[in-house]
Amino acid sequence: MRLRGPRMAPSAYVWLLLGAAYFLIPLYATLDFSLKKNQIGTPCCTLSNYSWVIHNGDFWHTIKISFILALETIVISLLLFVPTIYWVHLKLPKLRPVLAFMALVPFVVPPIVMVVGLLKTFKGTPHWFYAEPWGFLATAYVILAFPYMFFSLDAGFRSIDVHTLTEASQSLGASWATTLFKVILPNIRTAALGASFLTLAIVMGEFTIANLSAFHTFPIFLQYVNESQGFPAGALTLLSFLITWAAMLSLLLVGRKRGARGAVIAGVR
Amino acid sequence: MEDYEAQEVEFWAKLEEEGMSRSSMLRRSAAAAFGLTIVGSASTAFAANKAAMAAPTHMTKEGLKALVAAAKKEGHLNTIALPPDWANYKEALHNFPRKYGIGITNDNPDGSSAQENEAIRSLKGDKRAPDAVDVGISFAVSGANEGLYAKYFNSNYKTIPRALKDTRGFWMGDYWGAISIGYNKTLVPNPPKTFADLKKPEYKGKVAINGSPLSSNSAVSVVIAAALSNGGSLQNVQGGIDFWASLKKSGNYIPVQTTPQTVASGQTPISLDWDYNNLAYQAEFPAANWGFTVPADGVYGGPYAQAVSAYAPHPNAARLWQEFLYSDQGQIIWLKGGAHPARFADLVARKVIPKAVLAKLPAAAIYSKVKFASIAQQTAAKNLIAQKWPTQVGG
Amino acid sequence: MSGRRRLSLAWVATLPFFAYTVAFLFVPAASVMVGAFQDKSDHATFSNIRLLFDHPYVDAYWGSLRISLVTALLGCVVGLLIAYAAIRDGTPRWIRGVLTTFSGVAANFGGIPLAFAFIATLGPLGVVTTWFRNAGYDTSVRWPHFQLFSERGVELAYLYFQLPLMILVIAPAIDGLKREWREAASNLGAKQWQFWRHVGIPVLMPSFLGAFILLFGNAFAAYATAYSLNQGQNIVPILIGAYYTGNVLDNPHIAQALAFGMFVVLAVMMMIYIPLQRRAARWAK
Repeated sequence: MRLRGPRMAPSAYVWLLLGAAYFLIPLYATLDFSLKKNQIGTPCCTLSNYSWVIHNGDFWHTIKISFILALETIVISLLLFVPTIYWVHLKLPKLRPVLAFMALVPFVVPPIVMVVGLLKTFKGTPHWFYAEPWGFLATAYVILAFPYMFFSLDAGFRSIDVHTLTEASQSLGASWATTLFKVILPNIRTAALGASFLTLAIVMGEFTIANLSAFHTFPIFLQYVNESQGFPAGALTLLSFLITWAAMLSLLLVGRKRGARGAVIAGVR
Repeated sequence: MEDYEAQEVEFWAKLEEEGMSRSSMLRRSAAAAFGLTIVGSASTAFAANKAAMAAPTHMTKEGLKALVAAAKKEGHLNTIALPPDWANYKEALHNFPRKYGIGITNDNPDGSSAQENEAIRSLKGDKRAPDAVDVGISFAVSGANEGLYAKYFNSNYKTIPRALKDTRGFWMGDYWGAISIGYNKTLVPNPPKTFADLKKPEYKGKVAINGSPLSSNSAVSVVIAAALSNGGSLQNVQGGIDFWASLKKSGNYIPVQTTPQTVASGQTPISLDWDYNNLAYQAEFPAANWGFTVPADGVYGGPYAQAVSAYAPHPNAARLWQEFLYSDQGQIIWLKGGAHPARFADLVARKVIPKAVLAKLPAAAIYSKVKFASIAQQTAAKNLIAQKWPTQVGG
Repeated sequence: MSGRRRLSLAWVATLPFFAYTVAFLFVPAASVMVGAFQDKSDHATFSNIRLLFDHPYVDAYWGSLRISLVTALLGCVVGLLIAYAAIRDGTPRWIRGVLTTFSGVAANFGGIPLAFAFIATLGPLGVVTTWFRNAGYDTSVRWPHFQLFSERGVELAYLYFQLPLMILVIAPAIDGLKREWREAASNLGAKQWQFWRHVGIPVLMPSFLGAFILLFGNAFAAYATAYSLNQGQNIVPILIGAYYTGNVLDNPHIAQALAFGMFVVLAVMMMIYIPLQRRAARWAK
């Protein structure tokens, strides 16, 4: 069995090609639609729909809001969940199923229902929290991201040997904080990044809560265009896809340490 | 429109329940108009307090100037769930700021009536809360009963038909439309003119409804209109459900949501919707070569209603908005969008409608046959649809 | 340090997490659960719950269950295969980066844009349909039973966000499948399938199960795509939306009862998942 060979396994080709076809063909169909003109009888391709999107002030305004909101959500989520899950894996393994169950609750409470509950509960809170997306909405999005964060990070933590790493680090004299940030975090980098990607995508795509609490985020703009414009909607779909993808790539680059592809501690993978 | 007389009776009954006589109601309104606090039900007292002493409940032509000044002072208007391409709201949302210098924030343009009422409830006290709403009649009724709205008799109140207004003043019918069959003339060279036509095999895979009858008022109206054509009645819409079930089975009905994209791309070559929406598609999507007819075998009309929020952050601007919408100018804006405004009969009688506008609408003859359902009938229809539609037509 | 003190400190560290989730998750969730047992005048009642066993509500649960199980299973298996294909040795590294970032975006691609993308592909005027027709192959005649605007179509569309989700979640676990193990196994003379059966699959199983639950929950709660693609699709989230904020029905308590039912279904799934997890974890360690 040639494992170190540079050649790709044939089955890998098959699955990757199938995957590519499934994912790319619908996008191509949207592209095809977005290049059409809103007139009958004209031949193909115009970029006017893209131009409409790019010259739309609302587009840039709402993308900025959603992107910042996404970053805020990611930071809060990681700060909240990584130490907790690490701790649970290390010291309180019995708590894991409890967390897993809690992580499913956001699926059960549909956003429609959750937003009404949240609005009622937090009506008396100060203006800077309740009336700003950076307060109220980010808080709600952390909850929405919770299942994805949990299961990704959980898989990540399970794939490393938490106990050995922690003991090794502590025996070398590191504090908890150092252990967490300099030893553990780099080892669950892929999981944390994956979770961050998901969170970014969730925030860039969440509509119901923002809608019912009267904030103007990017998905609101997207929905509005989809419900009122024809061809530009296709252009917008693709542009938003590309922009979110670009955002993820930038996250990837930020998360990637120069050179290293995942910190390694001697002796441990 | 005897159905509305029934509704009228219903309202007088409700009035009795509240223990108010007509005269005492008028007295209270007059007191409010003079800026005195109303002593009465908690919600009206709250509304009066919140709405600042100068927010009137009755308006006359003379009082307009003061209203405009007060509204300008407030400086802004929050509207909700007004799609720009629905009944030509685009023009209203554009002209009002131009005329009065009051900016408008239009939130959640594709929201539902339920969301509008919910926004009044949940955003109470917030300056983003909606000032006025445009909701389906049944939501207007329930909103009024819940105390979400403020009383407001606009200066043109008298010329709104009795059947299209709440005599207590909590809501006014603003416009109505009839269910129509829209079609892409290129892809459907032999367009259907009636509900019976839709059954023809040549329309296989082509017929769509704008929304689902479980959540869209226009879709419910499509089912009721179909019932009228298929042996049902306003009392019993089972015929409508059966009609769409058979269309689903034959493959004519595709259960996909009609959107501007599907219309422009031709994926939904036939779409059933309000006439004013189909008229809007005609203008917006020349690529789709859109046309529409009101089917003669099922002429069903549905009105919507305006209401001022009892907790409006800009109460005078809200009332000025009502004045604007119910003025001749405002009513004609809706008519331009293909929706019949509430004061249509009055406008026609005074001959103030431009000929060009009238020419764009389908012939008046078909509209004279229109049927409206009472609240009770609508509720019964919705319940039946909720029961039967998912299993009969869905899946 | 005594065992007891250690334990109490450990709990304290999880406090911020629990405080947050109680405030922002359990309080709204609780109001739903309570509301499920009330009627419009706020009296306690079981009538909403009893209603769940009638048509069309019980059919909605079956519909949701079917779609969720099918897309979770397919998503997990095919997702694993695709992820493994991208991560394993021999595949150029850039493919993994592209796939992971793409998956991040695609995992949240849904609603009208997704529905429209599929309509534009497989609909009556779709790109693929037209390709086939131009090649002389009229799909509506040859495959009359395939309907995009049906449960099958919805499942096909759901995979668009289920597969990426699986790829993202299982990738770290595949990383954990240390290369050394495969080498050791092959040195010991094990065949490919033996490696998988005795090492690979058991190691991956806990994460696989976790991913399955996540995909199940994801599909169970999704509704915008189904709503746009097949309005008659009878699934619970669509009914909840209709009762809670539609233009037609107006009974939030039925919506809350429906949500309560979803909660019960997920609780049952968890009860199946936890012992399976425990067993799988034993194998993995």
